[in-house]
Amino acid sequence: MLSRIPPQTLRILALLFVLVAVLLFFSTQVPNYLNGRLFNRISSSVAIMALIACGQTLVILTRNIDLSIGSVVGFVAFATGSLITHSPDIPPLVLAAYSILLGACFGVVNGFFVAYARVPSIIVTLGTMALFRSALVEYSDAKSITTNNLPTWLVEFPNTQLFTIGTFQFRAAFVVAILVVIAVHITLSRVRPARKLYAVGSNPEAAEMSGINSKLVIFFAFVSAGALAGLAGFMFLARFGTITVVAGLGFELKSVAAAVVGGVNIFGGSGSVIGALIGAVLIDLIDMSLVRWQLVSEFWREAVLGSLILLSVAADAILMRRLVKWRVSREKKDAKLEVQA
Amino acid sequence: MPQPILRLNSISKYFGMTKALSAMSITLNSGEVHAIVGENGAGKSTIIKIMTGIHQPTSGTIELDGKASIITGPQAAREAGIVAIYQEPMVFPDLDVAENIFISDNSDGLLMRPSEQRKRASALIKRIGIKLDPSRIASGLTLAEQQAVEIARALSQDVRVLIMDEPTASLSAHEAGQLRKIAQNLAGQGVAVVYISHRLEEIFEISDRVTVIRDGSHISTKPIAEVTSDGMITEMVGRGFSKYFEKAASTTRDEVILEVRNLTLEGVFENISFDLHRGEVLCMAGLVGARRTDVALALFGVMPPTSGVVKFKGQTTKFTTPRAAIEAGIAYVSEDRRKLGLAMPMAIKSNVSIVTLDDFLSPLGLLKGEKERKAARHFVDSLNIRTPDVETPVGMLSGGNQQKVMLAKWLNLNPDLFIFDEPTRGIDIGAKAEVHDLIRSVTAKGGSALLISSDLPEVLAMGDRILVMREGHQMSILKHSEATQESIMLHATGQRQETI
Repeated sequence: MLSRIPPQTLRILALLFVLVAVLLFFSTQVPNYLNGRLFNRISSSVAIMALIACGQTLVILTRNIDLSIGSVVGFVAFATGSLITHSPDIPPLVLAAYSILLGACFGVVNGFFVAYARVPSIIVTLGTMALFRSALVEYSDAKSITTNNLPTWLVEFPNTQLFTIGTFQFRAAFVVAILVVIAVHITLSRVRPARKLYAVGSNPEAAEMSGINSKLVIFFAFVSAGALAGLAGFMFLARFGTITVVAGLGFELKSVAAAVVGGVNIFGGSGSVIGALIGAVLIDLIDMSLVRWQLVSEFWREAVLGSLILLSVAADAILMRRLVKWRVSREKKDAKLEVQA
Repeated sequence: MPQPILRLNSISKYFGMTKALSAMSITLNSGEVHAIVGENGAGKSTIIKIMTGIHQPTSGTIELDGKASIITGPQAAREAGIVAIYQEPMVFPDLDVAENIFISDNSDGLLMRPSEQRKRASALIKRIGIKLDPSRIASGLTLAEQQAVEIARALSQDVRVLIMDEPTASLSAHEAGQLRKIAQNLAGQGVAVVYISHRLEEIFEISDRVTVIRDGSHISTKPIAEVTSDGMITEMVGRGFSKYFEKAASTTRDEVILEVRNLTLEGVFENISFDLHRGEVLCMAGLVGARRTDVALALFGVMPPTSGVVKFKGQTTKFTTPRAAIEAGIAYVSEDRRKLGLAMPMAIKSNVSIVTLDDFLSPLGLLKGEKERKAARHFVDSLNIRTPDVETPVGMLSGGNQQKVMLAKWLNLNPDLFIFDEPTRGIDIGAKAEVHDLIRSVTAKGGSALLISSDLPEVLAMGDRILVMREGHQMSILKHSEATQESIMLHATGQRQETI
């Protein structure tokens, strides 16, 4: 039976299993743990990270990385905030489109340098991470956006309850994030040109030989990641209202962690955005649960989280290798039996 | 009646001053398996690269379906239906079989229908004549299956000329048989198949016509029925070409320095047994895929063997790291200068001292710069390395001079056993002679040399004895007096085997 399930599905199942295990573990440690409030908290905080991790996944699939993504979120959140502060009459959809477009512009910069100037992405985005952040400081003049200046529709948007199931509230921000992730997932698995992302990451030489325009594919990945970070910036503004120059700081590494925990291969070629979403949920869940766990002091939280990331990735690597070996040996056995028959 | 599909008319190709092909003419007919044979470096890969548009010919014309054409690049070649597959298959390891086959196929629109795609993949796989589940992920496939995927991809793009370059070199006998059947199936369906292989028995099994090339020139094209293996080999090595090096007198002494018995690395080579005497040059001859380098790496501790005994200077040894082998007195001069030989951006002096760095340290552990420079200058003079100074990065030197720097770093060690792996590949004839002199001076002083070379005149000029390998097996050890180019090739291609 096990050999019938594709490895990617198996990965997702394993992640869900770990998710349930973590839930069960903490429910024995923290009183009053499993309830609707836990879901509501995680769902509102994961909404932003899900979008960023989704974009990061697109980039990682092509054997690249985007370290500037946190700075993009911060800049877009601030720029969108100052735009709506000065012209409060802008309709919501136009404002969201502005955020997405602005994010995509940052992606164009990254994509150009990585795909066409052939500078390694880790260097390009390390540079643009600092550049975009400095641009934010300059642009903001070290002032902050505050909730008071924002229109009410914007501040209320993330917490609008669209529907509830039992005590689980489905709020607008979370629902939007989930819909985006699902849309990207369907695109990746069903729309033909999206296969090229996997092809380029899986075997760049073979991709080139198959007539795939690798440069364009990589460029596109960075622009999409920028656009998704732009949308995340919009959501960040709506959720927190108060935007300072440190907005989105550290999101780049958190998004890489979410993708990797979610089974996206850091060397490109395999992984899914659903995995990255579950990775983001898992990290958030563990992070939040550790706060409420008496046994672990505040100072050890990062360490526990770091160990969990290492553990999950190492376990994944080892298990997958075993699985592949096991399948190959099984197939050999099958082949032998066939010959005998 | 076979239709000519692709015709090369008197194609020549120069790389700078180096001639790779001269006046090469080949005609490929539909429904025919056309074998091309020749020694390593005869120009086979250049022909493929010209057919697939990777290289443009310096002169000569190409005809496609009787019309003069220019194959502008790989994309144009693919559109014309010319596809090459190599020993290392070009697949996407993370995608499944069907996705691999249809990666650049847009015929059924923007949306993929995986089940539909798998059905189409199955049909293609059936046409090839093998069994393969189209939903399997490519990384789990065997090499032969991956090649089948590549062939299926070619079929999906209406291949008309399929070039197979040493496709069976890394396959097991059973898999190779499968692949040959595929080639014949396709020819039966009207594809022109170009088959390049070192396994002569394969060529007799599947090809309709054979073209022999040598030193970039066309020697003959004949129907397979008119060819014998001895005749083919004679044509491959050629007669009466300039003997550019004379064999020098042997300096072999009685003492055995290296004793190898039944050395085996599972799945790579097996039962390699030989003695190497002090002052002797033992050449290892063979074709691509003979696994000579693997034997060298096993002796040098890079890939520890699975079984067998190695006695070095009378002691049974088992090196598991290169460091251990170096300390015992073994030097390995790699065939791959760039990857395993030199630190290209570093200065000559730093490359020269790298193996024996401890000798260049002061008691405090600091590098003695002057001593390092002096050692480097010594080698620059004695080996005639052409460079402005010893501070020049090795990457700036010509191939021959780089090779000498690589030799210098090992000469510093003063090893008892030198393993030279293709030490003269790609360097000019003057530098070649200098490298040969150096090997002789090493053995004259009592060192021993294991010399891996694919250059038959070099093997005959240098080897006191010649060990011929073929696909991981030791075929024979020939004395210099009984070795000729023909006899070596007969063993290397598996047409003769001695019981040892």
